[in-house]
Amino acid sequence: MRWELSAEQADFRSVLADWLTEVCAPETLRSWLDAGDHGAFEERFAADGWFGVGSPEDLGGEGGGLVELALAAEELGRRGAPSSAWLGSMLALPALARDAEAAKTLLADGMTTVLAVPSGAAPNGRHALAGDGGLRGAISTVLAATRARRFVVPVEDGTLQLVEAGQDAVRVHGRELTDRTRTVGDVEFDGVHGTTIPGDAAEVLEQAALRAAVLVSADALGVMERMLDETVEYAGQRRQFGVPIGSFQAVKHAAAEMLVKVESARSIVYLAAASVEAGLDDAPLHAAAAKAQVCGAAAVAADTALTLHGAIGYTWEHDLQIFYKRAKLDAQLFGSVAEWNERLAARLELLPGMSQG
Amino acid sequence: MDFELTDDQATIRDAVRDLAGKFDDQYWMEHDRDKEFPTEFYDALASGGWLGITTPEEYGGHGFGITEASILIEEVAKSGGGMNAASSIHLSIFGMHPVIKHGSEELKQRTLPRIVDGSLHVCFGVTEPGAGLDTTRITTFAKREGDHYRINGRKVWISKAMESEKVLLLTRTQKVDEVAKKTDGMTLFLTDLDRSKIDIRPIPKMGRNAVTSNELFIDDLIVPVEDRVGEEGQGFKYILDGLNPERMLVAAEALGIGRVALDRAVTYGNQREVFGRQIGMNQGIQFPLADSLAHLDAAELILRKATWLYDQGKPCGREANTAKYLCAEAGFQAADRALQTHGGMGYSEEYNVARYFREARLMRIAPLSQEMVLNYLGSHVLGLPRSY
Ligand SMILES: Cc1cc2nc3c(=O)[nH]c(=O)nc-3n(C[C@H](O)[C@H](O)[C@H](O)COP(=O)(O)OP(=O)(O)OC[C@H]3O[C@@H](n4cnc5c(N)ncnc54)[C@H](O)[C@@H]3O)c2cc1C
Repeated sequence: MRWELSAEQADFRSVLADWLTEVCAPETLRSWLDAGDHGAFEERFAADGWFGVGSPEDLGGEGGGLVELALAAEELGRRGAPSSAWLGSMLALPALARDAEAAKTLLADGMTTVLAVPSGAAPNGRHALAGDGGLRGAISTVLAATRARRFVVPVEDGTLQLVEAGQDAVRVHGRELTDRTRTVGDVEFDGVHGTTIPGDAAEVLEQAALRAAVLVSADALGVMERMLDETVEYAGQRRQFGVPIGSFQAVKHAAAEMLVKVESARSIVYLAAASVEAGLDDAPLHAAAAKAQVCGAAAVAADTALTLHGAIGYTWEHDLQIFYKRAKLDAQLFGSVAEWNERLAARLELLPGMSQG
Repeated sequence: MDFELTDDQATIRDAVRDLAGKFDDQYWMEHDRDKEFPTEFYDALASGGWLGITTPEEYGGHGFGITEASILIEEVAKSGGGMNAASSIHLSIFGMHPVIKHGSEELKQRTLPRIVDGSLHVCFGVTEPGAGLDTTRITTFAKREGDHYRINGRKVWISKAMESEKVLLLTRTQKVDEVAKKTDGMTLFLTDLDRSKIDIRPIPKMGRNAVTSNELFIDDLIVPVEDRVGEEGQGFKYILDGLNPERMLVAAEALGIGRVALDRAVTYGNQREVFGRQIGMNQGIQFPLADSLAHLDAAELILRKATWLYDQGKPCGREANTAKYLCAEAGFQAADRALQTHGGMGYSEEYNVARYFREARLMRIAPLSQEMVLNYLGSHVLGLPRSY
């Protein structure tokens, strides 16, 4: 089997990479993080048309699919970009695909529309709100809640509703994350009426879960690549005992282990993206393998990178901390390694009669 | 706190090291290859009086504790004899514990002095095809008929059965569905391996090949009541008593293999030159060996603590299990790394580390798996709900 990025995909990646190099340079990123301001980046990102990439043209997107979105997530991760609003919106898309007007508002006009589910687990209907006489209830740790202009809200009756933020009956409380490059918030709905999105919510949420697995693992891949690059560079510069520390085998081998993880992560992330996009039977397996393996590996790589940087990596001044924390959040975002391994296990015939759970 | 060995313990260590050291690599390599019981080694230990190290003095033994026994067995494994050496004497060292504690005076008089002088070889028959770690599932049944029992059933993995005269045999005298607690209704015997009633077939296996492990097909074996250990129905409890010391001995064996494997790796790392320098100069070789040293040392400490607690009559379940777990892990790691350090030569039998590797792997499975240790620590020590 041979699989590689098409010429257009490769182009897209390099154009986005150049754009990020210019717009999201390390000093600029730091100034946003210190000010707690993600808006500057998000507005620029939407204004320059990146929201539409990876979504169908008939919904107002620019074409392409999940592979393009995964490439974008990887590049955003590599730069530590404040990409919550984008990610939250991309997860809402399977819902919005059933409402062309809403999709267009998001994709063409960049109106952030996020899925209102807790970000600590794979999206599911367990936190659906009571719907009689208006939506009522709270959902905690919604990704990009403070940035959202609209929410896609799962309702107990098995439907989804599109709800405008910015009304009195929708209250959003931001939360502090250790990873300052992402945001979450708790959302309270107090008898608000939205518009019903047609279709089966469970199916939409499952699609959102698979997309979350692919995109978060792509983000983790980018973060891991960045940490490897930083580590290799540092190990070549830093001298102890009269030689660069990179000449010590133990250091060299640890970096090589990171490279092995990066390479295998790349294989599974793109496969999972293509598989989920194509709706293959094994797509849930591929997505789960990507989420569990890549995010798990990135969290370990973060520790290796920190070890190899020595004390400097432990400081606030050094950028490693940004990526370290991002990798650790990716390991939890939309489901822990254990949760996705559980999904994998449930699909294996470990015990008779317990498969296909 | 005192980390010094006592004079007796130091003497035991040195004497066993000397004696076991007389059996060289060639001896163990050949016995393993030819699947031949190490009779000369066994006899040497017997005539040195070592087999009776824990047997009470009134039966001709030395009456030492598990600390001394573990030092002995560790030295035996560490001599390069590994598990072949250890298994040949393992049961004599502490296996008779249930008999010593619960057997009748007559049974003890009849058997223990012969354990000490080496003339009586015994094996331990617990595991069955349908009952591995879950011992209560055994079905080998002893039916009382007047002054004897009639036993039928099947055992598996019984080490040294081929070479043994007697077996410590765990049976059921009541079926599992007839008892209130599934640990009730089990009865222990120390009886002859009557070849006319028991078919013994060695199992081809990965390593430790100088000592067989066998399948036993028991067909109408008649056992006199005098061969019963203690009371009917109490067998499981008697065995339970010996589990902690068993774990410590196994830990000591694993530790010994780890030590000898590491020694061999260091020797080779210093000798072998590649790219114009000793391979031990590479951090990729040196660090794993240093790491194994640290892990073996740490595992040894918990083992010493466990045996000390036991000999003081204090509770030691946590420490005994932890010692088994850490020694098995550290011993296997050391053997694996020793093999890797030897490169291609590690894979040849000539350098012995392949033999240690095969034997060290066993210690993570038997007599109880690493997973079972974690079950014990998780539920009994940490107080988490039982998971199975
Ligand atoms: C070389 C050799 C010599 C032996 N000598 C003797 C001997 O002399 N006398 C004797 O009676 N027996 C002997 N045994 C048997 C040995 O004690 C058993 O192999 C051991 O108790 C494991 O049982 P099993 O092989 O049936 O594994 P099982 O009980 O079938 O277990 C299989 C796997 O499942 C795991 N598992 C089972 N239950 C659980 C659980 N609740 N939680 C988590 N994991 C679990 C185990 O850890 C293991 O990995 C010997 C075995 C070997 C290999």
